[in-house]
Amino acid sequence: MAIMISIPAGIVANQEATQGLTENYNTMISNYQEQINKTTTLIEVSASSGQREFSSTPSGTPSGMPSGMPSGTPPSGFTREEVFTNETVGNEIRTIEGVKDIVPFLEKSSNETTSETMSTPRGSFTISRSLYTITGVCLNSSFIENYSILPTNITAESRNLREGDSGVVLMSSNLTDYYGVGVGDTVEIYGESFTIVGIYEPTSQGSTEAREVYMNISDAQTITGQVGNVSRFDVYAEDVSYVDDIAEVIKAAYSDLYVTTYEDRLATLENMQEMYTQSLNNAESTIAQTQATATQEIIIAVAATSLIVLFVMLYTVRERTREIGILKAIGFSNWNVMSQFMLEGILISIIAGVVGIVIGSIGAPVLSSLLLPQVNLFSGSSGRFQLGFGSVNPGTTGSTTTTVSLTPELILLTFGVAMLLGALGSLYPAWRASRTSPMEALRYE
Amino acid sequence: MSESVLETEKLDKVYKLGGRQVRALSDVNLQVKKGDFISIMGPSGSGKTTLLNMLGCLDKPTYGKVILDGVNITKVPEKGLFKIRKYKVGFVFQTFNLMPYLNAIENVELPMEGMKKSGDEKRKRSRELLKMVGLSEREEHRPHRLSAGEQQRVAIARALANNPAIVLADEPTGNLDSKTGYEIIRLLSKLNIDQGTTIVMVTHDSLIASRASRMLFLNDGKILAKEKQGTHLLKKELTCPNCGREIQPDNTFCPRCGKKL
Repeated sequence: MAIMISIPAGIVANQEATQGLTENYNTMISNYQEQINKTTTLIEVSASSGQREFSSTPSGTPSGMPSGMPSGTPPSGFTREEVFTNETVGNEIRTIEGVKDIVPFLEKSSNETTSETMSTPRGSFTISRSLYTITGVCLNSSFIENYSILPTNITAESRNLREGDSGVVLMSSNLTDYYGVGVGDTVEIYGESFTIVGIYEPTSQGSTEAREVYMNISDAQTITGQVGNVSRFDVYAEDVSYVDDIAEVIKAAYSDLYVTTYEDRLATLENMQEMYTQSLNNAESTIAQTQATATQEIIIAVAATSLIVLFVMLYTVRERTREIGILKAIGFSNWNVMSQFMLEGILISIIAGVVGIVIGSIGAPVLSSLLLPQVNLFSGSSGRFQLGFGSVNPGTTGSTTTTVSLTPELILLTFGVAMLLGALGSLYPAWRASRTSPMEALRYE
Repeated sequence: MSESVLETEKLDKVYKLGGRQVRALSDVNLQVKKGDFISIMGPSGSGKTTLLNMLGCLDKPTYGKVILDGVNITKVPEKGLFKIRKYKVGFVFQTFNLMPYLNAIENVELPMEGMKKSGDEKRKRSRELLKMVGLSEREEHRPHRLSAGEQQRVAIARALANNPAIVLADEPTGNLDSKTGYEIIRLLSKLNIDQGTTIVMVTHDSLIASRASRMLFLNDGKILAKEKQGTHLLKKELTCPNCGREIQPDNTFCPRCGKKL
């Protein structure tokens, strides 16, 4: 009975997990696709190879190739190296033919840190990460207008950054919540005071969205001590046809910079999609396999249960032949005797069912993980996904936790099945009991 | 009182035992009148139990018919036999055959199972019956807490539960010592006299058999022509022969004068 409960519970959990993961990945991929398509003329020139917080940088696009990170270590987004390059490089790039605009960014982690415990399919670990990221943005009104360099979903009663802003910041709501501050309040960043003029809702892409602060790039440079430095440029070409040439020139001239074009990003995405499809196929075939195994196991359990009831009842009937003889001699009909024994068989099964449900609800998670070794379907592949998605939060994508839950429906079903099997198993013995000749039964010792 | 309760006509029973045919009964003609107390005597293997099983619908004759309370039970289909066993026949066995997990009163109620009587009615009837057999004090006892004689009394009470037309007793004293056996036979006699219960008893104990009103002899499946009048405990015998006080059938000595009975 316990087996009968835990197996379906395991399967249901697996199916739900896969479904959830599929939906997650599909939304994510289509989000990326959309963003990539919007920025065909964008060439990203970054001083570091590290991934950026994709979900929350508004101008962000998946960039950079997956680094060869061993699985089990925290995603690169949390530990990336911060490298800077001189902003004069931008002036030089501007001279390349076909370049329309260059938008410099300075990204720097806060000096305040926070400890977070992350659970991944490979176990949980505590990491210390910076509390938030400072993004210095070139507050040029034409840039703000033409390119989505600032967050968009600004909360009511606050405003976005605009040209000429200095000493003011735009903060993600999770950071203001963390500090417990609001619009007009003053916060201290790198020892300098800033006034909050705007708060925005970060696009939700996980349980731990990145906390961000946006400010004028010159403010950022000053407070972080990176005057004259930037961490990346977004280079916009006049037309898509220039993109490849511009990228070639930059790559040739600055070997220490990482250049990513629309095609690179698309390739990365396709790469990711491929891996995802593969993993999904793997998962699906695993599920199909476990389902087949589980079906076999259920059939065996059902057969075993009915056989046990059958044999127990046959034994009981044999054991009580004399009793049956007496009952018949004093006027019990065949039907009386048969229903008596059927009732007994069903009662035994109900008791067994109750015991099974108790054992099952305690043991189902253990049992199903023993019987269905691949319950955590994505545990093996989530590591790769993290590589592909950079800093995408592993908590939301890689391992949707497969909890084996016993629903009331399942318990009721098991109860019904128990009764049915009891009836089925005692049918023949009861019938045999009812056909016993009273004369012979009375002679039986 | 000459109404016939049970009649057999040319009753034959043939068993097949390992390819050999055994004629257990042959041409048995029997008439039992209402209020009769008949004992059938015979050595082992003479067909006594076979005859009794036939009379009580536990077995079917190979040939001939049995008419019980006006019904030819040999014509009754298998499915209907349980009703005859339930309402027309009461069985008393050598080994008592009580349900070990039911107490005395529940055992007596068992034949009333499934009838349209209320639980209270059944309980009341069972109490009466247990009182009749002198076991009022032992209602709640299970068979293993009762003596052999007491168990047989419960069995007799059970046999009477549905007011059967006839009580069939198969060696009712076979598992009892002679004293207890005598008590049981007195109880049956009393029931026969007081309630007019018709009884057919099978035994190979001539002393026990002689307490019936009629004694028949069975040998090799045939009823012998000789038939004896038994020394039935007539009503007058249920009074103390010494002082004349009425005595209970289960009394072993007179409660008034103390004479051993």
